[in-house]
Amino acid sequence: MIDNFLAGSLALFGDPFSISIFVFGVVGGMLFGAIPGVSMLTLAAILLPFTANLDPAQGVMLFAVIYCTGTYGGAITAILFNIPGAPENAPTAFDGYPMTRNGQSGKAVGAAVLCSAIGGITSAVVMMAATEPLANWAISNIGPPEIFALVFFGLAVASSVGGRTLWKGWISVLCGLLIATIGQDPVGGINRYNFGFADLAAGIAFVPAILGFFAVSEIFVQAEKKAIGKYVAPELSLDFPTILELWINKIAVVRSIIVGFFCGILPGIGATLAAFMGYGEAVRWSKNKEEFGKGKLEGVISSETANNAATGAAMIPLLALGLPGGAMTALMVGVFQMHDLEPGPMVFYNSPDLIWIVFAAMFYANLSILFIGLIETKTILYLLKIPFQFLAPMILLLSSIGSYIGRGLVLDVMIMFGAGIIGFLLRRSGYSIPGIVLGIILGKIGEQNFAQGMQMVHYDIVEYLSRPICLLLIVAGLLTLLTGVYRALSFSMK
Amino acid sequence: MSKLKVSHIVETSVWIVIIAVFFAFSFEFDQEIEIYIFGATGWPRAVLGILLLVVLGNFFHLYKKGSEEQQGRIGITDDDEVISYESFRSVQKLVAILLLPFIYAWSLKPVGFYSATPIFIALVIMLLGEKRAKWILANTLFIYFLIILLFMVLLNAPLPQGNVSPFYDFSAFMLTINTKLHQSFNF
Repeated sequence: MIDNFLAGSLALFGDPFSISIFVFGVVGGMLFGAIPGVSMLTLAAILLPFTANLDPAQGVMLFAVIYCTGTYGGAITAILFNIPGAPENAPTAFDGYPMTRNGQSGKAVGAAVLCSAIGGITSAVVMMAATEPLANWAISNIGPPEIFALVFFGLAVASSVGGRTLWKGWISVLCGLLIATIGQDPVGGINRYNFGFADLAAGIAFVPAILGFFAVSEIFVQAEKKAIGKYVAPELSLDFPTILELWINKIAVVRSIIVGFFCGILPGIGATLAAFMGYGEAVRWSKNKEEFGKGKLEGVISSETANNAATGAAMIPLLALGLPGGAMTALMVGVFQMHDLEPGPMVFYNSPDLIWIVFAAMFYANLSILFIGLIETKTILYLLKIPFQFLAPMILLLSSIGSYIGRGLVLDVMIMFGAGIIGFLLRRSGYSIPGIVLGIILGKIGEQNFAQGMQMVHYDIVEYLSRPICLLLIVAGLLTLLTGVYRALSFSMK
Repeated sequence: MSKLKVSHIVETSVWIVIIAVFFAFSFEFDQEIEIYIFGATGWPRAVLGILLLVVLGNFFHLYKKGSEEQQGRIGITDDDEVISYESFRSVQKLVAILLLPFIYAWSLKPVGFYSATPIFIALVIMLLGEKRAKWILANTLFIYFLIILLFMVLLNAPLPQGNVSPFYDFSAFMLTINTKLHQSFNF
């Protein structure tokens, strides 16, 4: 492994053009992740056609680097503006934004930098050491029933955070699942709920929905406060977390690495569910549950460690099985296909150079988060000084461009603003926006894997539950669900 | 005693109408799939059924506790704080802020990005309370050129050009400048 890693590093840093692509990916990912309104997906969508002119290894490496640094970059906007740069940063905002409101933005961003780097580096090392055995384990133990069971567990966890009541948490998640049913059904390809719009046959695009629910709704919330004279500008602070504060949370870091890596390794699940699960588990095991959501450092640490731990793991199903773990890894499949390559087991034998350049680049990208991230953070924090009336049009414009670029449809810009208004109204009524977004992301994956799982076991529920991992996850999901319902009902009855 | 308010009844009714509409529309694609016994409607109808149960649970909570927050909930933002409008002008302002982006999005097809954007930026700045004309103008130009520099010049991103003259002509002019810039700097 060390020899291959060194060879990959040499290939990466021995060629000035590869170095410039690497640096571009690191800086571009961080910037696009950290600018409210656009995300690493916007940058990736713009760059995709240009990768045709690159060497396959350089193209995949560029996207892998953007994935690592962009996942971290999205935490900054979540913490400073309550606008997660990507869905995987949504749980970061639960505690990160209250910390900004309490004048602790530096502490929250500093923790995000360190924990993103720790999660990402650990994940990259495990990925290098164990891609093949882990992929083999996943092939023999993880199938559609397990993936559906994990989606169910993840949705149960997501419903327990974010809404004003459990009911509102569940309504949010189910609303997301309902939005995900728009477009072709994943089994028979039959058009559902297109309401006469041909462009809706492909479903509600993922990026406009996220930008609308997160970025635009936040602008509307703040604009409302401005209109009635209740707007208070967040305070700027540059005090980073102390070593002691981070050391106290070491167990949360280790737990989130495990949770993040496990979620990342499963095809189709990716970093978003990892972040929710990492946050959910931190709450579950904490003695001071009531402090979460009010600006607890452990909340930021858990979510950011888990989502970056998933980035390396998400490359395992992509490279070893050819299955993308999320939107960004799906775009990487596009890069492979542009060069007449198919990700999958044969890549390890046909293009070992490519694999090790990508592995090395991901390792160094996570390492660079630690150094460039700390410098960048101090600069980015000054964004808080820009008056809201000048920041808002910039965010709305960047969101419009981000929505339009994916498919070149003005309809997507309209969907984004529609999602913004719906998100604004739902937030006013105490619903959970991250819950809706997670429902949208996991809806299609859940349905597809449920259908495939049912077909696999010939609709025999006993056989379905006889798979140990599936049973474990279903039971965990049911326990989360039932205890939640019991608590909600007892609270209402009081 | 019931703590129901009119807003709670409206909220529940909206969800029930959404469920009813989606259920009714599900008959449009109620087709069998040979390899899958639940068909295309199985999953959406299951989601709708569960959603109905949860909406009823929510109604029960609203009936007993009103808008009271459930104890021990995590990740609730301060959006829940009571917002009261003291003047009709504030309501007008908010409605304008909510509608303006839609008008902008609608205008992108006929007017194009390059012409509609500066007007949109200036209007948003004004609606958000900036009254100094110099600041509005300076910031509009700054944001516009920053966006153009990043997406048109550096990234060559394809943006809507419009289809109505003279807006289309202006977009064509911008793109010609971009091409000339690329040629002179050999991008």
